[in-house]
Amino acid sequence: MKKIVALLLTCTMLVSMAACGSKSAAAPAAEPAAEETAEAAPAAEETEAPAAEPTGPVTLNVTTTYAGNDGGAEIYQKYIAAWQDETGNTVNDASGTADETFKARVLADFEVGSEPDVLFYFNGTDSNAFVSAGKVVSIDDIRAEYPDYASNMKDSMLGASPVDGVNYSVPVNGYWEGMYVNKEVCKAAGVEIPGPDTTWEEFMTTCQAIKDAGYAPIAASLAQIPHYWFEFCIFNHTTVATHCQLPGSATDAQGQAWVDGIGDIKTLYEKGYFPDNTLSATDDETFQMFLDGKAAFLCDGSWKAGGISESAENIDNFTVTYVPGMNDRKATDMIGGLSSGYYITKKAWEDPEKRATAVAFVEYMTSDAVVSEFAQVSATALKNGAQIDESTLNSLQKDCLTLCAGATGIAPAVQDLVPQPCRVPVFDGMPNLVTGKADIAEAVQEVLDMVAAQ
Amino acid sequence: MNKYSAKKIAGNTVSYLALTIWALTTAYPLLWVILNSFKDRREIMSQSFSLPTGDLFTLDNYRLAFEKMDIFGAYINSLSVSCMVSLIVIILAGLASYALVRYEFPGRNLLQGLILAGMMFPAFSTIIPVFRMESAWGIVNTDSRFLSLFALSLPQIAGNMSFAIIVLSGYIRSLPVELEEAAYMEGCTAGQIFFKVIVPLTKPSFATVGIFSFLWSYNDLFTQTFFLRIKDHWAITRLLSELTSREGTNYGLMASTVTMVIVPVVIVYVSLQKYIIKGMTAGAVKG
Amino acid sequence: MGANIYKNKKPVFFFLIPAFTFMIIFLYYPFIQNILNSFQQIDGLGSAAKGINAPWYENYVKMVTDENMKTALFNTGWMLLATLLGQVGIAVVLAILVDNIKRGAKFFRILYFLPIVISATALGVLFNLIFLYDKGMINQFRELLGAAALIDFKDEQHGMLTLMLPVIWQYVGFYFIILITGLNNISPELYEAAAIDGASGLQRVRYISLPLLYNVICTCVVLSVTGALKVFDLPWVMFPKGMPFNSTWLTGTYMYYQAFGASNVDYSSAIAVAIVVLGVIMAKVINTVFKEKDY
Repeated sequence: MKKIVALLLTCTMLVSMAACGSKSAAAPAAEPAAEETAEAAPAAEETEAPAAEPTGPVTLNVTTTYAGNDGGAEIYQKYIAAWQDETGNTVNDASGTADETFKARVLADFEVGSEPDVLFYFNGTDSNAFVSAGKVVSIDDIRAEYPDYASNMKDSMLGASPVDGVNYSVPVNGYWEGMYVNKEVCKAAGVEIPGPDTTWEEFMTTCQAIKDAGYAPIAASLAQIPHYWFEFCIFNHTTVATHCQLPGSATDAQGQAWVDGIGDIKTLYEKGYFPDNTLSATDDETFQMFLDGKAAFLCDGSWKAGGISESAENIDNFTVTYVPGMNDRKATDMIGGLSSGYYITKKAWEDPEKRATAVAFVEYMTSDAVVSEFAQVSATALKNGAQIDESTLNSLQKDCLTLCAGATGIAPAVQDLVPQPCRVPVFDGMPNLVTGKADIAEAVQEVLDMVAAQ
Repeated sequence: MNKYSAKKIAGNTVSYLALTIWALTTAYPLLWVILNSFKDRREIMSQSFSLPTGDLFTLDNYRLAFEKMDIFGAYINSLSVSCMVSLIVIILAGLASYALVRYEFPGRNLLQGLILAGMMFPAFSTIIPVFRMESAWGIVNTDSRFLSLFALSLPQIAGNMSFAIIVLSGYIRSLPVELEEAAYMEGCTAGQIFFKVIVPLTKPSFATVGIFSFLWSYNDLFTQTFFLRIKDHWAITRLLSELTSREGTNYGLMASTVTMVIVPVVIVYVSLQKYIIKGMTAGAVKG
Repeated sequence: MGANIYKNKKPVFFFLIPAFTFMIIFLYYPFIQNILNSFQQIDGLGSAAKGINAPWYENYVKMVTDENMKTALFNTGWMLLATLLGQVGIAVVLAILVDNIKRGAKFFRILYFLPIVISATALGVLFNLIFLYDKGMINQFRELLGAAALIDFKDEQHGMLTLMLPVIWQYVGFYFIILITGLNNISPELYEAAAIDGASGLQRVRYISLPLLYNVICTCVVLSVTGALKVFDLPWVMFPKGMPFNSTWLTGTYMYYQAFGASNVDYSSAIAVAIVVLGVIMAKVINTVFKEKDY
């Protein structure tokens, strides 16, 4: 038995040594593909064309979150098929819908060393584990060899890792958060739809009028998804420049902004602007209220435009607008960002057969044309912006474009700085905060203490 | 005599009435799901309790699944894994329960405690070590469909074992030991007694345990997410869960996928039903 | 028993080894890891531990003082009573009724099985529609009957009831099938003999069915205890995150939430250990109280 193990070990070592050797162009005849790749890559650098031009068919293991009924899934499938046809390479696609189980699987893959070669995944705190373990390659390191890598993107928008502020991933399309409006409800209540100049006070008057007319002004499940109001109410006490910063404590200026922001949610709740059952209903139920014309406003992300388009009986009955602002925040200052991107793993990078192919794949999937098709109404990091054919859009999607065009500033969501477990006191604890069962300042401090302890 | 039969008829009526009321509550949800699977997703919430006739009727929810996905391949993957799991579970659990019920040996209580405990291990607490082991064996994350399905079935077999042993023990304990003694007198070994006396006598029990092992393996989306990655390897539950949207729940699609998931299970259940019939013990005694 | 067939213990190992090999590799060994995890700091399922907790038993201390855990245990206690009396009770009655009818037994057996095969997600949506606050099925009925105010079936007063009814309903069929299988194991000759002796239907149930079903009912009781401790899917769909106001936690949903919602995997592992310990203790108590009988 021991002998067999020893034999196996020797074989593995030989193979890995051979692999190392191939890098220094002293490759054994058994690995011609690797040799060619190693030579082809530097040669390609000199020419201006796409940096990586690998030869020989390579099988790439790719995991993305483009799956299921996700709008991007079909486009993604189309382009990996096209890429395979063009290059003769094979993609082993192991994509899945990004639920909690899928996230656990991705992390477990990195843990046991079976990670994919290319990963399209979140660039926020979800990526901390494998970034800090050094399992993915930074864009700077890639550019050292392929200078044109991600050169069509604005570097400041790539989505740096929360771990060290370094860019690891190349984003495709991002999100923004805004306020969807059920026009019929506003009409029935005889109120104007809030616009770019609407102030918070005017918004309060509007909400009161809607409430008096017998509708719920704001569809939201504070018990399940208080995230959007949390983000905007704090934004109302900060600015685009200062929004995405963690307070040092609940009593400093930023901490006060958090306390005041959550206080505003409490006021909204006390005035009865959320549905009666906002503390016991699920998000699905309140969304349905909005669709059924029982509530006027719904604060949500850009992806919800797709959900509304598919579920609404008459899409022209819906539009999207800015969340009214106060203090230094203009209503047209929005929350948004690019929360996912393509990573190349160390494993693929250090595999001479796969390095160039992985780079070429990511370059292909993040080219201007491909990104524009993914983006539709959402944000991108493209220097030239996305090119969209407006005739294919419905009225809500067109309103989304107008909304983005009118934005005066975009701040990333501050909740992304708070790791999942630390959000509990203010998110899951929101019902206690708005009903006064728990103290807001204490909850904010609790969050900050938990972040500090991480 | 008249009085007696009148009482019997009254009793029967009450029985049927009670049974029918419960049956209505259990049949209704399935009917609701199936009916809604033929409605547009927009109508389900607002008109969820009406019939899908006329304008309400649509096949879109099924079309999407059949156009985009290899449904039949996924059915085959599901059936092969779940059949294998339930078959291995009932054989191994049957042997173990027989030993645990009929033999007295030191440590029996401890083993029974362990089995009870095993039934309560949550899947998420055992998945990571299992995944790490199988990954080290090289059977995870490969191109081979067989290996992926095999890797999936191993933890599922273990996961259903506790339940199967507990239930089968209950049934085997209720068997009269005299039949086994008779077989022993005729010179049967313990193994022969198990296969020639115990198994035929408790066939309904094995069928019942098999049904539940099948069902749980079939519905175990969590483990499937870890071990079935490439589309060709997906089992039906995994495939259909990928169909449901990220942008809020698509109820129409959900209703149709639930229907598609249920159909094979109900077929398996109905076909195994024929083993759950009376008279097994009697037959064995006579034979 | 007096039989000497089972005096020779050698075959025991042959019978036990295959099943236990599977369980040791894929259940017990991983669960030992889980116990170790409960002493370490782990922030996401699948990510590596960041180190030992300080003190190492921190999670277990936390569990004792955690208000939500108290709620969860309290609610699970109710759930346990409900499953025992509701699920097993109804299932026994239904099984005996089906066993005694001549026509349609097969039909009922199929219908009663259906709730178990429908996924929790779908059932959750259905029950949410039934209990919906505005325009839900029950509230519409109440309106028809002249009730003025809508009842929020998911508020703190009604929450647990709204949660328990669907769970009880869903798993009656499970116990029903286990029990009806037990009834089918009973020899019809016993009933024939009883009929010749002039026993009435009720007497046959009382003196033949129930005693011979005794062990299977014991099994069901044990299953319902463990079931109540770990149930999470349907409650989670209807009442995510212990809504409202952390009042509907169950041990199963709380454990799930800590692992996936709050990403506190080590604490979740500790809850898993507690659930297993509680379950084994309760099952052992039940087995001692209702001592299983050999025939």
